[in-house]
Amino acid sequence: MDKIARIDMGAAGGPKVTVGPLGEYAGLGGRAMTSLVVAAEVHPLAHPLGAENKLVISPGLLSGTTGSMTGRLSVGCKSPLTGTIKESNAGGQAAQVLARLGYAAVILEGKPAGDDLYKVVIDKDGIRVIADNSMRLMDNYPLVAKLRGEYGDKVAYMTIGTAGERKLLAASIACTDPELRPTRHCGRGGVGAVMGAKGVKAIILDDAGMKMRPPVDPDKYRDANRKFVEGLKKHPVTGEGLPAYGTNVLTNVLNEAGGYPTRNFRSGQFENASDLSGETQAELEIKRGGSATHGCHRGCVIQCSGIYNDKDGNYVTKQPEYETVWSHGGHCGISNLDTVAKLDYMDDNIGVDTIEMGVTIGVAMDAGLAEFGDDAGAIRLMEEVGKGTPLGRVLGCGASVTGKVFGVERVAVVKDQALPAYDPRAIQGIGVTYATTTQGADHTAGYAIATNILKVGGDVDPLKTEGQIELSRNLQIATAAIDSTGMCLFIAFAILDQPETFQALLDMLGGFHGITMTGDDVVALGKKVLLAERDFNTRAGFTKHHDRLPRFFYNEPIAPHNQTFMMKDEELDEVFNF
Amino acid sequence: MGHEETDRGAPRGSRPGFDSAGIELPRDRLSVFFPLLQRGVEVLADLGGPLKELLCGQFGIDEEYVTGRITTIFLDNRPVDDLERTLIHEGARVTLSAAMPGLVGATMRRSGFYAAFRQGISHEEEGGELQAGEGVIRLKLFNLLLPELGPLILGRGVILHPEQVEVLRNRLAGGSDIPAAPAGVAGDSRRVLLKVTCTG
Repeated sequence: MDKIARIDMGAAGGPKVTVGPLGEYAGLGGRAMTSLVVAAEVHPLAHPLGAENKLVISPGLLSGTTGSMTGRLSVGCKSPLTGTIKESNAGGQAAQVLARLGYAAVILEGKPAGDDLYKVVIDKDGIRVIADNSMRLMDNYPLVAKLRGEYGDKVAYMTIGTAGERKLLAASIACTDPELRPTRHCGRGGVGAVMGAKGVKAIILDDAGMKMRPPVDPDKYRDANRKFVEGLKKHPVTGEGLPAYGTNVLTNVLNEAGGYPTRNFRSGQFENASDLSGETQAELEIKRGGSATHGCHRGCVIQCSGIYNDKDGNYVTKQPEYETVWSHGGHCGISNLDTVAKLDYMDDNIGVDTIEMGVTIGVAMDAGLAEFGDDAGAIRLMEEVGKGTPLGRVLGCGASVTGKVFGVERVAVVKDQALPAYDPRAIQGIGVTYATTTQGADHTAGYAIATNILKVGGDVDPLKTEGQIELSRNLQIATAAIDSTGMCLFIAFAILDQPETFQALLDMLGGFHGITMTGDDVVALGKKVLLAERDFNTRAGFTKHHDRLPRFFYNEPIAPHNQTFMMKDEELDEVFNF
Repeated sequence: MGHEETDRGAPRGSRPGFDSAGIELPRDRLSVFFPLLQRGVEVLADLGGPLKELLCGQFGIDEEYVTGRITTIFLDNRPVDDLERTLIHEGARVTLSAAMPGLVGATMRRSGFYAAFRQGISHEEEGGELQAGEGVIRLKLFNLLLPELGPLILGRGVILHPEQVEVLRNRLAGGSDIPAAPAGVAGDSRRVLLKVTCTG
């Protein structure tokens, strides 16, 4: 990973590729790379779909190595959904292959003058940008099938569906999994619309002839990776819970806590939650010949995904994640896992963010476009998005736009991005993160729960309520750092409880790059990324007044705890005081 | 399979009785009960004591298992931190879960690092006089604890309402080697104390 490729899609005479050294971006990967490039090179007032915006694609610092859990790919830009800086990451094979090809980043710049669609082929011989209008208005599954006919099965694909091509604000970028299904998505913030605006429909990554990235200290790296894997396997979350049930294991617990937003955030409990639970889902998947245990990329030892089949044993989609099951399930009053799975497939195929679309459909139900609990109605609304009808385009632009168009007051967004599956009235601390993150409402922005090990910001008494601001700040810093390594965030559980596993992670980074890394180094990286993102947002016109939850969270108590969001504005304003 | 009248579960005569029944089930078929256990079943319990006594003393769960494995516990929808000070009352809703992923999973952990994030919903024992003696509480098991604690709880006996018995009978009907539910139970308006003995 010693080079950066820049593809000027608007160059005179057609797209122009320039490959250069890392320069000031040396030593960066993942979110650190995407955010620092965007912060330095994109005008903060640029139109997100215009020529001034850039789409930065970057594997993590350890991607493309023999290390486990190293397959996250970051995509960054100015978001058309939020207007803020955006980093959205996904699993799948793309990060590993792009890293082995030697690219620390591929940056799509400019904007083509015409309306041709392009595919970008990256292999050991270089980068070719080829116009191919036969891909027009193809969704992800048929598009990947067509590309497999041309480029085979030993490559990784990044594609956009019709949503990205239409530049809908909820559009995602799909990355293929080991079975070459377009199931892993850089979902949040409309990054697919930016790729569509660049005229790029597909990126084909072929690492034939390339080798694994070699560590500077192979023995140290191998030993650290072994200890890291042992730590993941022995931990009850990463070694047992996630492999058995996936992230959807959270449904029952969130519902029990009264933090499961139901029927567009009207209640914190759904009466049929157990019908949607990870436990029920896993049993159904196994019974139907699918799988409740599956990795999204090679080298994953947690295996939190799965395969969801229909009642006849035919593939429907990958195992829907907790947030997807919630957004299309309880949030819309729907309790049928088959309906949720179909909607998940439609999200992946059309190429939209599952959280944004599920929340949007709930808002649409609030507007009377369908009844809560109307399975067929939800599918019909998704079909509108797929067809690109005027209604579908409104829905495909997310919850905020849909709420405005239909006059709905209860719209759960921060900086126009839909809230994920945890009600901040029941779990106040996550509301702090939703409100203040640089990314718009995002549960993964403060997800790296190893802050106690990292000692980010010192110790906080866990049983004292006043620590929430500090905890949210520390979580956001730690997450920004982990997002830069290319490691799956789910490693955080083992790191939280097992200091030796955290040390193994540091040793992997150190062994690979031939340096000694400490927790302080990780914290410094996280702070650097966050401050650059925050600065970009400030220059883009965002102020502390944007770091707030919608008013209904302050005014409407939610059952069963009948509690509102209680954090004071002045407290929220303290999060970025570091 | 036994089927008898009992007045256990009635707080010394004030609660209506219920039928008692027992079935034997191979361990690998025990999952037919998991949906019920997820939604919650009623069980008999001695009231007024601490939650830890319920788990270790009455249920007979090893203390080390409670400490290390049952990391997330709810009482009446409120996450519990202190097992010694949390008291069991008539009708208590007790939910047991293994460690959960995600920030919110970590937040719900007993005395976890992120407990502050659940300000306002954590259980705080209010004290005061609680009814002592035998009573009925509602118990839920989630995730890894379903296969691990399910046999213990089912062997101790769960109180099923007629509609729960009906659901169970429908699920049992798929296995030819599984005995049918007690005759006449489904139409009975009373509850059934069902004890399940694991075989194999």
